[in-house]
Amino acid sequence: MKSSPKLRPCLWDGLVVLLVVVLAAACALAVWSRGTGAGDLTAVVTVDGTEAERILLKNFPDGERTYSGNGYTLHVCLADSQGAKGPGLYVADADCPTQDCVHTGTISRAGQSIVCLPARIIIRLEGGTVDKDAPDMVIG
Amino acid sequence: MKRFAAALLAALMTVGLCGCSWQTESPDEAREVIQVIAMDTVMIFTTYGEKSTHADYLSEDEVRRLESLLSRTDGESVICQLNSAGGLGIDVGEEVCGLMEAAEEYTLATEGAFDITIAPVVAAWGFTEKENRVPSQKELDELLTLVGPEHITLAGDAAALTPGTQIDLGGIAKGYASDRIAEILKENSIPRATISLGGNVLAWGDRPDGTPWRVGIQDPQDPNNANAFAGMLHLTDAFAVTSGGYQRFFEADGKTYHHIIDPATGYPADSGLTSVTVVADCDLDEVDGTPSVGTMCDALSTALFVMGEEKALDFWRSGKYDFDLVLVTEDSRVVVTDGIADEFEESKESGYSYEVVS
Repeated sequence: MKSSPKLRPCLWDGLVVLLVVVLAAACALAVWSRGTGAGDLTAVVTVDGTEAERILLKNFPDGERTYSGNGYTLHVCLADSQGAKGPGLYVADADCPTQDCVHTGTISRAGQSIVCLPARIIIRLEGGTVDKDAPDMVIG
Repeated sequence: MKRFAAALLAALMTVGLCGCSWQTESPDEAREVIQVIAMDTVMIFTTYGEKSTHADYLSEDEVRRLESLLSRTDGESVICQLNSAGGLGIDVGEEVCGLMEAAEEYTLATEGAFDITIAPVVAAWGFTEKENRVPSQKELDELLTLVGPEHITLAGDAAALTPGTQIDLGGIAKGYASDRIAEILKENSIPRATISLGGNVLAWGDRPDGTPWRVGIQDPQDPNNANAFAGMLHLTDAFAVTSGGYQRFFEADGKTYHHIIDPATGYPADSGLTSVTVVADCDLDEVDGTPSVGTMCDALSTALFVMGEEKALDFWRSGKYDFDLVLVTEDSRVVVTDGIADEFEESKESGYSYEVVS
């Protein structure tokens, strides 16, 4: 059967198809990237029950921040990439009596926290790559 | 012209579809995380669902209410008033009375390994004071005469203590708080949540991907390392509580003294265990806000730590209560009871040897 010249595909038809494909791909990408909960690793700092700061680890200024609460001060430092784990945070020094925050060492994945009970400061990581094998909670 | 119209329509449809994708997010995916410092520990409430924010803040309010109700140091609290009543009976209210009855039940069931009247002995070691110290044997002997359930009298909503006896409900307060929070989650139709109250956790529902929640048991040999675990529990609708001597301790004259006091000796329990984790199912039908499974796990984790491996396993085998155990021993073994063995994952890098018992 001979097709009518009007129905024969031309360059414009191709462009329309391409546009639809590109938009569909962009749409799918937007949905998928949102679904994984991805986003850069963020430190959420709470002092005495109030969120004091929410800061992207990649924007951590000069690699060090100071937080104070209840008369105590914590020096929080950025740890460079530790192999596959990526960057993290640790309390380099603190003048609190227990030093539990210093002893906690480096936290490097979402859900982990450094807690200083005397200073009433909690530093918690959110976002970043989701590791399905990582614990959701720790007891002990 | 038709082609341009078609292209425009396609673009609009795509944008529309994108919009739809944001709208189709399940209400169950909404998540709220809040962190609270209360009862001398850090608590993290992570709840999902339409009412997640509401449930989180109700939980915080509930924990704060219990903290002031049960505090041993706040002079306004019922417990403080009872402790300083000099033997007189006072009205402690239905709730505190119910908790004291539950505590008495666990004291009798564990033959005194868990005892809320141990409070003055714990204070003598300084664990609830500003400074730790090693009390003399004479001092401990005198204090131990005031320890035991026979020094508590309950009648209706009133309670009385033998003069000199003091109680501390700290050994079950967080467990009871988890029971109360379970009721809040149930009432607010929360589909899934993780509630962490220091050494007490509640794994409510499952993960958003349908797998069980993963709960790491801190390695007692490396207590401050955020990545060191003695094992991993895979839990759905369950309470888990860990007691360990490494959680609070002090050193004097080259010896380490931890905070879990054996009511039989007045000394820190020396039972060969470094941590005890008690796991029990959270049956949604039975969640009613009264002291139940969460409270039981809290009391038993302390009691079984005091008992030691052999007695703890005998107690588990007795079947008196429905729970499972993960015991970590001083000689680097991890003992798992067979009811939870399929939900337990060994930690390969820990250096522990693992055994399942039945």
